[in-house]
Amino acid sequence: MKAKASAEDFAEAAKRHLDDVHAFLVYLTGDRAVAEDLTAETFARALERWHRYDPRRGGARTWLCQLARSTALDHFRAEDRRRRREGRYAVAELRESAEPVFGEELSPALERALAQLSAAEREVVALRIVLELDGEGAARVLGISTTACSTRLSRALAKLEKEVSAGVAA
Amino acid sequence: MSPLELVDGRFDKLATELRASRPVAPEGLRNRVEEFARAKPEPRREWGFRLPPRRVGLVLAALAILGSFIAAGVTGLGGSTGDTNAVVHGSQAQALRAPTTTTEAFGAATAPSDLPATTLDSRLKGRALPPAQGRLQQYDASLTLRVRNSDQLSARTQQAMRLTRSFGGFVASASFDVPGRQGTSILLLRIPIDRVQRALAAFAGYGTLLSQKIAVQDLQQRADAQTSRIAALRRAIASLEKQLEGGVTSVERQRLERLISIEKSRLAAQQKRLGSTVRRAELARVGLTLVTPAAKASAAPGRFDRTLDDAGSVLARELEIMLYALVVVGPLLALGGVAIAVGRAQRRRSDRRLLERT
Repeated sequence: MKAKASAEDFAEAAKRHLDDVHAFLVYLTGDRAVAEDLTAETFARALERWHRYDPRRGGARTWLCQLARSTALDHFRAEDRRRRREGRYAVAELRESAEPVFGEELSPALERALAQLSAAEREVVALRIVLELDGEGAARVLGISTTACSTRLSRALAKLEKEVSAGVAA
Repeated sequence: MSPLELVDGRFDKLATELRASRPVAPEGLRNRVEEFARAKPEPRREWGFRLPPRRVGLVLAALAILGSFIAAGVTGLGGSTGDTNAVVHGSQAQALRAPTTTTEAFGAATAPSDLPATTLDSRLKGRALPPAQGRLQQYDASLTLRVRNSDQLSARTQQAMRLTRSFGGFVASASFDVPGRQGTSILLLRIPIDRVQRALAAFAGYGTLLSQKIAVQDLQQRADAQTSRIAALRRAIASLEKQLEGGVTSVERQRLERLISIEKSRLAAQQKRLGSTVRRAELARVGLTLVTPAAKASAAPGRFDRTLDDAGSVLARELEIMLYALVVVGPLLALGGVAIAVGRAQRRRSDRRLLERT
């Protein structure tokens, strides 16, 4: 029998997984301010759709990350349309900021290397490495197979290491 | 198990650093989210399905099947309460059919058809319409008799054939069939007309008489007309031959010879027709059908059987409609499914490109 997703459950899930969702969105967007807005938007959507959550089909963290990714994609699409309309590249401008984005204690080389990765690469790193989701959960969030997820992670890490080495050498 | 173990041990240092400095939600965001959490989540719609769509589909399919069975059952029960005489199968119809006995003389007399077979037997035996003496007549008779079993069917068939030959007749055709439940022997006999009455009387003794039909058609007038025509033709030929014997020109001779030839061929044809008429009057055509009683079976089906029959036919009809719907709607559903799958794949590809660009 399906466990009931109650209001108490939602409060508990929001409290427990806020940092995870926020970290995932920071990696995905590469922008703290946008990530904060999207995190709030994600939990607002989660509140509306909490009755659809089925614990048997995966943990709350996986479900929230799926929702966060969907929210971020909507944001990216809107941004993409806006950039095309305005002919400007807002994200590129933002990335020029000197503020550390991915972590206060990250080495500047790793910070720069992360910024060099695409959002698709950063999201798999965030899910598998930072949030330590298992392959199946990460694959479900990304909507791909477990094998594809492992391949993507392997390539992303190889690229990340290459960028770090290049940054250190420079 | 560390996620990195699945990939490569080289990235352990990298992973440790990433994990150690993972972003933490700022206080302001935490407060905002806590506000959401304090609010009541959207209540589950009471009418909404809590089951996943795949399970909902299965439940709907099960309900549809159950519904079709209930409909079949209800229809079957409804149909089975009707008139029991309405459902009569072929063999039963044959068993229920009243024996019909017709005696026709120039298409005139008809015997009552609702008499039991035994009564018919006693009343008609030896009362077959006799052929008229001194006149040419076409005599057709058919008899249907019931014998006890297939052994007797065979014996009586052979007996009838022997009797026919002993009367100077012959068997035009014979069909003997014992497929299982009910045996049938059908004989078409030609019997000299002066002995046909004796033959019919003998056949009537082979079993229980179920039906008898006799038809007599007078051929005398036709034979008389044909005889007159022949006489006229002979006279005409004789006259032409007499003219030929006198002094005639060669042209006239040729004309007379041609006329004589024509008249002679007409005479031959007429004589042939007369011969045929006489032969038809010499041999009576007798159809003898022997049957064994139908084996038990054929009890009227009970209500349960009728219910099953009706329910089965309803189910078959439903299956037919379902197949028809599948044939009509199937391609549309398949196209819809393909369109959805293609749409999703495109969306996924678009998302991936977007993320790779970002």
